[in-house]
Amino acid sequence: MTKYDAVVIGAGNGGLVAAIRLLQGGLKTLIVEKHNLPGGFATSFRRGRFEFEASLHELNDFGAANNAGDVRVLFDELGVTDKIEWIQIPEAYRVIARSENLDATMPFGVQAFIDKMEAYVPGSRESVTKFFELAEEIRLAQAYSSSVNGQTDSKYMVANYGNFVRCGSYSVNQVLKTLKMPQKAVDIISAYWCYLGANLDDMSFVHYASMVNRYILRGAAMPKMRSHEISLAMVERIRELGGDVLFNTEAVKILTDAEGGVSGVVLDDGTEIATRHVVCNCAPHVVYGKMMDKVPEAEVRATNARKFAGRGFTMFLGLDRSADELGIENHNYFLYDTMDSVKQYDRMRTIADNDVQATVCLNRALPDCSPEGTCMMYFTTLYMSDDWANVKAEDYFKTKDYVADKMIARFERDTGAKIRDHIEEISVATPMTYARYCGHPQGVIYGYESQYWDGLMPRLQMMAEDHRIRGLRFAGGYSMRLSGYSSAYFSGDISGRQTVGDFKREG
Amino acid sequence: MPFTFKKQIFGFMDLIRFTKMVPKRREKLAEGSAEKIPATYRVNETAKILHPGYQSAKLVKITQNTADTKTYEFETDKPFYFRAGQYMTLGTNVNGSEASRPYAVSSAPGAALGKRVAFTVKKCGFFSGYLFDNAKEGDIFTVGDPSGEFCYEPLKDAKHVVAVAGGSGITPFYSMAQAIADGTMDFKLTIFYGAKTEEDLIFKKELDALGSDKIRLVYVLSDEKKAGYESGFIGADLISKYVSGDFTVMMCGPQAMYAFLDKELKKFDLPPRRIKKEANTVGVRDVKEEHYKIKVKIGFESYTVDADSRETVLVALERAGLKVPAKCRAGGCGFCHAKLVSGSFSIPGADKRRLADSKFGYFHPCCSYPDSDMEIIANKA
Ligand code: FES
Repeated sequence: MTKYDAVVIGAGNGGLVAAIRLLQGGLKTLIVEKHNLPGGFATSFRRGRFEFEASLHELNDFGAANNAGDVRVLFDELGVTDKIEWIQIPEAYRVIARSENLDATMPFGVQAFIDKMEAYVPGSRESVTKFFELAEEIRLAQAYSSSVNGQTDSKYMVANYGNFVRCGSYSVNQVLKTLKMPQKAVDIISAYWCYLGANLDDMSFVHYASMVNRYILRGAAMPKMRSHEISLAMVERIRELGGDVLFNTEAVKILTDAEGGVSGVVLDDGTEIATRHVVCNCAPHVVYGKMMDKVPEAEVRATNARKFAGRGFTMFLGLDRSADELGIENHNYFLYDTMDSVKQYDRMRTIADNDVQATVCLNRALPDCSPEGTCMMYFTTLYMSDDWANVKAEDYFKTKDYVADKMIARFERDTGAKIRDHIEEISVATPMTYARYCGHPQGVIYGYESQYWDGLMPRLQMMAEDHRIRGLRFAGGYSMRLSGYSSAYFSGDISGRQTVGDFKREG
Repeated sequence: MPFTFKKQIFGFMDLIRFTKMVPKRREKLAEGSAEKIPATYRVNETAKILHPGYQSAKLVKITQNTADTKTYEFETDKPFYFRAGQYMTLGTNVNGSEASRPYAVSSAPGAALGKRVAFTVKKCGFFSGYLFDNAKEGDIFTVGDPSGEFCYEPLKDAKHVVAVAGGSGITPFYSMAQAIADGTMDFKLTIFYGAKTEEDLIFKKELDALGSDKIRLVYVLSDEKKAGYESGFIGADLISKYVSGDFTVMMCGPQAMYAFLDKELKKFDLPPRRIKKEANTVGVRDVKEEHYKIKVKIGFESYTVDADSRETVLVALERAGLKVPAKCRAGGCGFCHAKLVSGSFSIPGADKRRLADSKFGYFHPCCSYPDSDMEIIANKA
């Protein structure tokens, strides 16, 4: 029987990083992926003369060589940074909520951001400065916490990172209120919320502030050849390190021994692989729902307790005029009905009511990403319920077109750009598309929601006790770092290194 | 001066609250239901109808349409759905090796929900020859996922589509016409259907029966003059005779027809977004016969196969009886994605790979010809 020290199931962002970590730790490693490409959502596809980015809006926490973010540091350690050509995103975002007369374009750089906010909202300086001070303390506290692998000393924490501990249990809205931030500034600084997909009453301040701070402090980056370049660079690295990679190969079963620990993996063609360590880059729901025969009750309960985060929808447009000609001014737009994220979240439950979009014109960051005289855009939204489950196959294409049409109308209305008559290529991905390619339940793209009780901090603090089955760890959006590119990479880093530790301890 | 964050009147309350997060989550996780975790979900089930993957299909009916065309109707394992204009691969084992070809579906999308699908095939090569000579009712085949973008896009295309079909290129339009007639789709379709003689027109009777204010047929015979038919080739003048205003051109037929139309359509000065072509062929190349070896790793196994400079890498692998993925066989879908370890190849037609694929040495065996001995890594089918 073929034997590996470790098997990684799923070559998404988390799985790829985990595989590199396992190989760097000296483990003989196999990574299997059911699709014929690596990356999961981190991929690209071609239509006519366009190559579309499948999902990445901007890579958070990467930074430049002289202002390296944590993701760059990780990529350096993995040995992949130099295999990829990077570009910087020009500005943070433009947020528009027409019904509330909000239209603000925010820059990268903490000072620049505070100054611009003061220009939009006179009197906001003090509270916004405090926001970034808190956020920076959170960043340092998190760095300390990961340096001691989550085994933090509480006295040391309180002494050195007191504000982090004091604000650590509150939601975004609770903290911003305490900071007495003027409402309009709250609205502007809330723009990123849909990147994390929980409303700001639910989402922990630590999680949100940490993300905003990393964006604004370090800027954002993008690989020149779409995220497919990152994914292929990682596969290249895995092969350099002697790892085996199988595409078009689905792991259908995880085998367990008498004590319930991992003993092997069965592939879709019946091949049995002996291994005592598996890192799953997929939902625990999928693993426990169909890949394992005996699942401990505590694990079943814990899995059932969790809530699926947003189900994804993206429209891709290749336009036959340049961004200038069409009046598309910015790289990154957030278009909302209201900046009240609780109300907005509610409206995002149904196909009929959801009109939110996070939209990118890639040419504004990478002018030659499409042929001269053209540009390309992608428009993303999230559904906060399973309304797409109500769409029958025969109504599917019409429903897709209905949503795509609404997205175009909103973009034109809110920004004044004219795009409808210049569509040369259109492609739409729905929850069904994400379910198909990545196997996620209900087409979820954001893992488990960052609810008030299931946010970043308690997940990190409970990493050890969440690991209930010997030899089984998780990476990707459903795991301890939550969803998003950088989070998924970090989860792969953590689970990969922990598995190396398990292997050294347990064999 | 660093500030001190304080939410509650007594700051220590904030600290206590922090320490309660873990117990709270622990409690919530333990409160979850003990019920079995579902093996599947509704969205995932609908996704399986939209993308059934490979499935087996029983040949239930063969109809001879013209001297060199037959329609093969199948009953599939599972209900599925597609967009009129898409193709599927039809495959079976021919003399010990797996062979498959992409064919545009000629039946209506609605029929697929009832597990029925039809392909209309012109006898012109190895696989179609096999079908004509050997396939019989009751035989089991494998059909692939509905694929391709040769479809009407309501948000992009004009409300009026000018379809130009040559020979068996009528099949995707026949599917569209049925979809318009049964209300699945809504647009105006004028089909210019070119064939050599009246005898060569496939689905003439069926198409005529579908004619309406939305579906209009113009038959164009190149080798025959007959009342009620246009004659010659389908060009700008003929199109202008029947169509005006804003329209999208969709064409499906032989390369020669595309070459002619490309020139003719210049007269309309249409932007590229108004012209769609079903890209159903691989670039061919005219080179000296050379023989090479291809070493290929598939899964955990390695094989060495013979290759010929005049045949694609994919064909070399298939000839050797290896099961490797293929769908469009025209370089565009990326389904055959493989990695080059050493050696060289060329792509005579358009290079439709992703940028990073070229950078990291990935290629599409279906449209790439060997220029030397090669070592590659391919995926299993
Ligand atoms: S089979 Fe479509 S690209 Fe090769």
